[in-house]
Amino acid sequence: MSPDTSNGAHETYDDDIVRLFFGATVLWAVVGMLVGVIIALQLAFWPANMDVPYLTFGRLRPLHTNAVIFAFAGNAVFTGIYYSMQRLMKVRTHDLLSRIHFWGWQGIIVSAALTLPFGFTQSREYAELIWPIDIAIAVVWVVFAINFFYTIAYRKVQHLYVAIWFYMSFVLTVAVLHIVNALALPATLTRSFPLYSGMTDALVQWWYGHNAVAFFLTTPFLGLMYYFLPKAAERPVFSYRLSIIHFWALVFLYIWAGPHHLLYSGLPDWVQTVGSIFSIMLIAPSWGGMLNGLLTLRGAWDRLRTDPIIKFLVVGVSFYGMSTFEGPMMSVRSVNALSHFTNWVVGHVHSGALGWNGMISFGMLYWLAPRLWGKVHNESWVSLHFWMATIGIVLYVVSMWAGGLTEGLMWRAINADGLLAYPNFVDIVQRLAPFYWTRFFGGTLFLLGALLMAFNFILTIRDARAAGASAPVAAK
Amino acid sequence: MIAASLNPVFRAASEAHDLGWLGSVSTLLFVVAFLAWSWVAYNPRNRARWEAAGRLPLEDDSSPGGDA
Ligand code: HEM
Ligand code: HEM
Repeated sequence: MSPDTSNGAHETYDDDIVRLFFGATVLWAVVGMLVGVIIALQLAFWPANMDVPYLTFGRLRPLHTNAVIFAFAGNAVFTGIYYSMQRLMKVRTHDLLSRIHFWGWQGIIVSAALTLPFGFTQSREYAELIWPIDIAIAVVWVVFAINFFYTIAYRKVQHLYVAIWFYMSFVLTVAVLHIVNALALPATLTRSFPLYSGMTDALVQWWYGHNAVAFFLTTPFLGLMYYFLPKAAERPVFSYRLSIIHFWALVFLYIWAGPHHLLYSGLPDWVQTVGSIFSIMLIAPSWGGMLNGLLTLRGAWDRLRTDPIIKFLVVGVSFYGMSTFEGPMMSVRSVNALSHFTNWVVGHVHSGALGWNGMISFGMLYWLAPRLWGKVHNESWVSLHFWMATIGIVLYVVSMWAGGLTEGLMWRAINADGLLAYPNFVDIVQRLAPFYWTRFFGGTLFLLGALLMAFNFILTIRDARAAGASAPVAAK
Repeated sequence: MIAASLNPVFRAASEAHDLGWLGSVSTLLFVVAFLAWSWVAYNPRNRARWEAAGRLPLEDDSSPGGDA
């Protein structure tokens, strides 16, 4: 695999746009995770908000979630899509539309980073941004969709590889979710009233919120898995037939699972039950996809010991399996009665977010770097990053499980007289301190790993420039 | 079951328009669609086609140096 980016074969594809999204992914990974580490510290040690209103937990938390989901994970997915779809379709994406998509998306991220700390918010989880930004998102997304479907329409390969189907579900569903959930009546430039109210509002919000997980953090990443894992393993996916059943079963079931966020709420019981049933059924396509990914390594398991890229991807797919086992379990009402509102949910989120989205993205970036610039500056740092990330995730997730069970059990504990055993909420919060500190250390390790990666890539680009052999670099 | 959680007006409306049949029919349709698609996917006659499709990512020119 000798990397060479000056080859004429590349000229038909727009790899500069891939470089741009690549750079943005790395930048926002560091920023978003840094904010995560800061709010993790604030939960363990509240004076860490330094008494500055803009840096309080309530304002930084949505900044964290927006930065890691829409900026880090979003840019990672765009990087992978622009790289792989041009090659799977054997046609170049539209240069101008791609640039509008790129700069528009980064502009949205910057405006999010400015408005949220200043307290401009719609207070809808994962849809906090105020209405003018919501409109910008819709416009940029439509530009991306036109570019995407234009590329498909002009493709030179007849069959749409399964990864493209997963990307397609992302492009279409996110558009619908965003527009329906964001419908609101503007009152001023920064304020608006949602169109829905009461339980309807909650249901729309969690139909959106859940499917943001499904179609922003899951299906596009499965598309990346179906492209980059075979690439890295140098063999086709284990079963293509399974992959196409996996796709349809997954997208069909996912759409209905939202009510598992609203168990024991005022939502009609039958809707809650439908949500639970679909969530439990989801384990089948999820694990089908996971096994299809893992078994792609058949006959090449030794690479798992030697190739850090394979390590990132395999651990990523394994965490996907873990969080999609955990999720259906938490959708069972009696389990949810214990887990809801506790740190267990936060543990579940980050086993998906750090383990699945993080590791797949890192593996993909390390695979791409030599193809976009040249040999990665320091190969042993890649392995070091792998171990920092893995240990970081384990510390994060295990401490949150333990903390979540602790608080869940303490909340419901009842003494012999039938009274709450721990009537003082703050007593329970104090018990969580050691778990919060452990999570902070785990998260810091994960962040340091990402910083090491960023540094490694900067040096890689510098090497490429020094060698003068590379194509023009991300700076534009 | 549904009706119990609604106010009297909605209760009357929901009893007048019991949509239970919709659940049964759509379940049936989706099960049939699932079986039909599985049949297409696993039909031995399509084997070569899927195998060729599975090789698509390995046939592109992503690494001029050689892993294609
Ligand atoms: C260094 C890495 C990270 C650290 C230290 C971190 C820390 C945190 C903290 C402290 C919270 C608030 C939890 C609470 O309210 O109790 C949080 C929430 C959240 N984080 Fe992270 N995070 C990190 C990376 C990520 C990444 C990479 C993603 C997504 C790709 C992510 C997605 C989320 C989401 C979705 C929530 C909201 C969870 C919920 O509402 O249950 N985080 N994170
Ligand atoms: C079969 C797959 C999955 C199912 C059935 C599932 C189910 C659940 C359930 C029951 C909750 C807790 C709701 C509550 O009590 O409030 C939850 C929360 C969450 N899950 Fe999953 N999960 C799955 C996979 C994933 C994956 C792969 C990710 C991330 C990549 C993820 C991200 C989240 C997030 C961000 C939340 C927190 C939402 C919030 O309260 O802010 N889930 N999930």
